[in-house]
Amino acid sequence: MTFTKTIRRVAAATALAMGLAGGAHAAETVNIGFTGPLSGGAALYGENTLEGLRMAVEEINADGGIDVDGTQYEINIESLDDMYSPSRAAVNGKRLVQQSNTPVVFTPHSGGTFALQAFNERDGFLIMSYTSIPSVTEKGNELTVKIPPNFTDYVEPFTKIAMERFGKKLGVANATHDYAKYWTKAFVPAWKEAGGEVVASNPMDYNKSADFYTGVSKVLSADPDVLFVGGASEPTGLVVRQARELGFEGGFVVMDQAKIDEVANVAGGMDAVEGAVGVTPLAHSDNPGAADFVEKYKQEHDNVATSETAYNYFAMHLVARAIEQAGTVDDPIAIRKAIPEALADLPAEYNPYDVQEISDDGDLIIDAEVAEVVDGEIELRRISDLKDDD
Amino acid sequence: MELFIQQILNGLTLGSIYGLVALGLTLVYGILHVPNFAHGALYMVGAYVCYFAMVELGLNYWVAMVAAAAVVALLSVLCERLVFHPLRHAPPIHDKIAAIGILLFLEAVVQMHWGADFRRIPTPYNEILRLGELTLPVQRLLIIGGAFALMGALHLYLKKTMTGLTIIAMAQNREGAFLVGIDANRVAMMTFAIAGALAAIAASLFAPINLVYPAMGHLVLLKAFVIIILGGMGSIPGAIIGGLIIGFAEALGGFYISSTYKDVIAFVLLVVILSIKPTGLFTKGVR
Repeated sequence: MTFTKTIRRVAAATALAMGLAGGAHAAETVNIGFTGPLSGGAALYGENTLEGLRMAVEEINADGGIDVDGTQYEINIESLDDMYSPSRAAVNGKRLVQQSNTPVVFTPHSGGTFALQAFNERDGFLIMSYTSIPSVTEKGNELTVKIPPNFTDYVEPFTKIAMERFGKKLGVANATHDYAKYWTKAFVPAWKEAGGEVVASNPMDYNKSADFYTGVSKVLSADPDVLFVGGASEPTGLVVRQARELGFEGGFVVMDQAKIDEVANVAGGMDAVEGAVGVTPLAHSDNPGAADFVEKYKQEHDNVATSETAYNYFAMHLVARAIEQAGTVDDPIAIRKAIPEALADLPAEYNPYDVQEISDDGDLIIDAEVAEVVDGEIELRRISDLKDDD
Repeated sequence: MELFIQQILNGLTLGSIYGLVALGLTLVYGILHVPNFAHGALYMVGAYVCYFAMVELGLNYWVAMVAAAAVVALLSVLCERLVFHPLRHAPPIHDKIAAIGILLFLEAVVQMHWGADFRRIPTPYNEILRLGELTLPVQRLLIIGGAFALMGALHLYLKKTMTGLTIIAMAQNREGAFLVGIDANRVAMMTFAIAGALAAIAASLFAPINLVYPAMGHLVLLKAFVIIILGGMGSIPGAIIGGLIIGFAEALGGFYISSTYKDVIAFVLLVVILSIKPTGLFTKGVR
């Protein structure tokens, strides 16, 4: 009795599903996958990256989709939540490829990227990885593109600016997640090499701390000139605020995960982040495409555009163009091969970071800008100019 | 010496917030024997109501705090009426599952409306008092003062008023309380209302020096559970003392040993105390 009922239900559901699938086939659609944190503590970050993809897809579809070898395709984003967990990202990756046939999967974290790299070449999909950890592309995975620049590019200029202005004593007070540890491992040796010393090292769990007073006062008791801080922007803002409350007057080196303008919002204004060195907030960038993007973002949202939204917006436009150039929606190797050409064709309005090249490993290369807060204003310098000073 | 006193103050700040949240949890546990996992979500909703009243409606900080307490108390009573009361004859696991359900539901609703963004409640008390090397932000002093005043008021309410005494009677002996004619429904609703209000006030006090976001309740809830296990499930003095122990362990341990291990220190303390006194510091039940 119950069995027949179940059968009947399954039959009904199948019929319905087939009807829906049939409907979707009427207009040709190519699915693009996304797996990232959409709930939990990193939900905001995941949503921001996904929003970049959505904005790009809306524009592309509004223009009639993409033209692949004579057929018009609409782009559809299939997004799955992995709560920042590599194992869930892997499961999501399998689902995306098997159920939605996605030739490209975006993921905004290194753990997810490594997990997907275990099978992406075999299962045939291109990973668009939004992480700045160099090893993502150093391992020789043919089908991985790393969207932002390596974080290690920032280490030297940050060290130089902060040390020249404030002094050689560094206090480490950044976060404890994997990405922060990668940073610490690269930053501390560079600081020492430049002649500095580390007087206190007390990383704190930015996501799981109710309060930073204890940790910050511990670092400050060693009397550092510069504090190395960073994690998500808002908790970083709290750390900066509490450091100032406890009487710290030196500078900050801000890990690239945090954006100086967002940090300032929490820390109590630009004066509180005086002397901070970090990546350039998008709204301050003087790249030609940046202003366009900020304006576009403002029309649809009430908050300020972030770099993760901008980079993913750019990457989605790039992928769409690469699919057009490759003339195929299901050959990830051809799509990857078409990226350099697509990049050369991409109009500046879709390229807020002015990405110029892609390396053979799959790194998108830019001449990044470094921001420093001087007298309450953000000042910008290109990394290439800073190197020329030597 | 100043650094030590500074850490004591930090410990007091944290301890009083943890204590307030744990108090609500322990009250509900004492009466219904439900580990209310949704309590962290009530704390979070409290912070959002305070944010809404203060930032979006432009009300005074104290008015916003009272509004948060009222709204969350009501929400807490609704949870009792709509979820826990109908489950009173079900096996205990159902209460636990329902509590987790409420937690997820409230978080999803808040995230749907306000998004996952970090928000800040601006405090009207931005001054920082300085005594030599000591840094005393007024908001932090307010937290300590407010929390202890509230704990005192709760104590008086439970000991000196008839309704308060009915709560204690229920916690001590359910059947006995029924025999002398105590209305179980009323007591349960009262308890949930008090627990919700305490969580909302704790959130409104603490949020100005912290951030407001949908997952903010997780951490505090975890700490609150540790505290009530440490202090003895259902014990009111246990929740207060337990809160202070964890607060001090985090502040002093974080300063003199390592911030990375401050949670470890708190949990090691839990293991040590439980191995010496397996029922927690104070025996079960409100005394």
